[in-house]
Amino acid sequence: MSFSPSLQELLDALRCLPGVGPKSAQRMALHLLEKDREGAARLVTALATAAERVGLCTRCRMLTEQELCPVCAATRRDDTLLCVVESPADLVAVEESGGYRGRYFVLLGRLSPLDGIGPAELGVDLLREQLGAGHVKELVLATSATVEGEATAAYLGSLATEFGVAASRIAHGVPMGGELEYVDSSTLFRAIESRTAVESV
Amino acid sequence: MKAERVELEAAYILHARPYRETSQLLEVIGRQHGRQGLIARGARGPKARWRALLQPFRPLHLSWSGRGTLYTLRNAEPAAPSAPLQGRRLLSAYYLNELLLRFTTRGEPRPELFAHYTAALAGLADADNAEVPLRRFELALLTESGYGLDADRDALHGAPIDPEQRYAYQPERGAMPVERDGDEQVVLTGASLQAIAAGSFHGADDLRLAKRLLRQLLDHHLGHRPLQTRRVFAEMRPPS
Ligand SMILES: [Zn+2]
Repeated sequence: MSFSPSLQELLDALRCLPGVGPKSAQRMALHLLEKDREGAARLVTALATAAERVGLCTRCRMLTEQELCPVCAATRRDDTLLCVVESPADLVAVEESGGYRGRYFVLLGRLSPLDGIGPAELGVDLLREQLGAGHVKELVLATSATVEGEATAAYLGSLATEFGVAASRIAHGVPMGGELEYVDSSTLFRAIESRTAVESV
Repeated sequence: MKAERVELEAAYILHARPYRETSQLLEVIGRQHGRQGLIARGARGPKARWRALLQPFRPLHLSWSGRGTLYTLRNAEPAAPSAPLQGRRLLSAYYLNELLLRFTTRGEPRPELFAHYTAALAGLADADNAEVPLRRFELALLTESGYGLDADRDALHGAPIDPEQRYAYQPERGAMPVERDGDEQVVLTGASLQAIAAGSFHGADDLRLAKRLLRQLLDHHLGHRPLQTRRVFAEMRPPS
C-alpha cells in the first residue's frame, strides 16, 4: 500500500518512538487524521514546545525547561546525599520508590569502554564540580546491576574517594542484567536501604 | 549458504549493542567456532529471557543457529559463576575484550585464543598483581596472530640473542643490537627479552618493560585506529 507523501512521512516519523513498528505507526497516524484532528493539533504544539524548551538541568542533567529541575530547585532535600543514576527514567524510578530524599546526578548513559563512552560523555566534569563544592557527604551509586553499571560504579567510587566523599552502591535486590526503570519500587526501596561500600578503581 | 546449528558451546560475550527495536547484537567468542555475531531477540525488553546471563566476562553455554554472517541466539545457560572482577580489574577485562575484537574476525575458529582469554580472566580475578595476566594475554595474542617475539636470534646477523647485549625490538624485524638507548624505542637486554618472551616477569621493572614493549608491538599491528578502552581509561585517571 502506498500512502500520500505527507502521510508516509508521518508514518516514518512515528517509528522513532520506542516500541513503534510499521503497524502501530499506521494505527496511530490513521487514528489522528481520521478521528482526532484536535488531538493531532495538540500533539503538534506540545511536541514542538517540549522539543524547543526542554533541556538539561544545569546541576544534575535531568530534563527540565528551567535552569534547575524541580528536585534541584527544591529546598527541603538532603544536600549531603547525591544519587547517581544512568537516565532520567531511572531518576523517576528512584523518586517513585519514595525511599530517597537527597539530590541526583544523571549520567545520561553508563561507562562503555568499548564504545568509547567514558567520563566526558557522562558529564563527569559537572559531577566533579558538585563533589568539589563540599556539601556532598555520600555518593549513592544507583547505576544498573549490569557489568557496565558495576564498572561505572567502581569508577565513580574512586572519584568520590578523590574528593574525600563516601561512596555506596545500591544493594542487589535489583536482578543482574536489570535496568532500573523496569524494577518495581519495593525492590528499589530495599536496594537503596541496604546500599554497600564500593571498591575503588 | 548452508544453515548452521551450534548447541551449547562454551562462550563469552565480548560486546553487546542495541539491535533494532528490542534486540541485541552480541559479539561472542566460542571455544570451537571462534568469534560470532549473534542476535539476541527481545533481549532489551523488560521481560527478556537470559537478561541476567547475557553479560560480558561470564562463562556461558550458548546455542545458535541460522545462515549467513549473523546467527540467532537460541539458548543461553550459565557455565560457571562469573569471575569476581571488581574495580580496576573489571576495567582491564574490557581491554581484553577490545583486543580480542580487534585481532579476530567472525567465523574463524580460535580455540587457543579462547583458552588464553579464559586464563586471563581467571588471572585478573585471582592474581596478586593484575598486570601479569594482562601481559601474558598480550603476548599470547601477538604469538597466536603470527606476531610473536623472536627471542632466539637477533635481526641484524641472525646471531643468537646474548643475555648481556642490549637490543631495540622493532616490530616486523625483531631484536636489533644497540649500544645506547634511542628516543622512541624500547631498549632491553637479551636476558629481559627472553624472560618476557617466556611470559615470566619478575618484579616491577620487568613488568614495566614488558608493558612498553608489548604496547609498541600491539600499536604497530592495530594500525591507526587506537583502542577505545585506552582513551577512556586515560580520561578516568585523576587529574594530576
Ligand atoms: Zn537538577
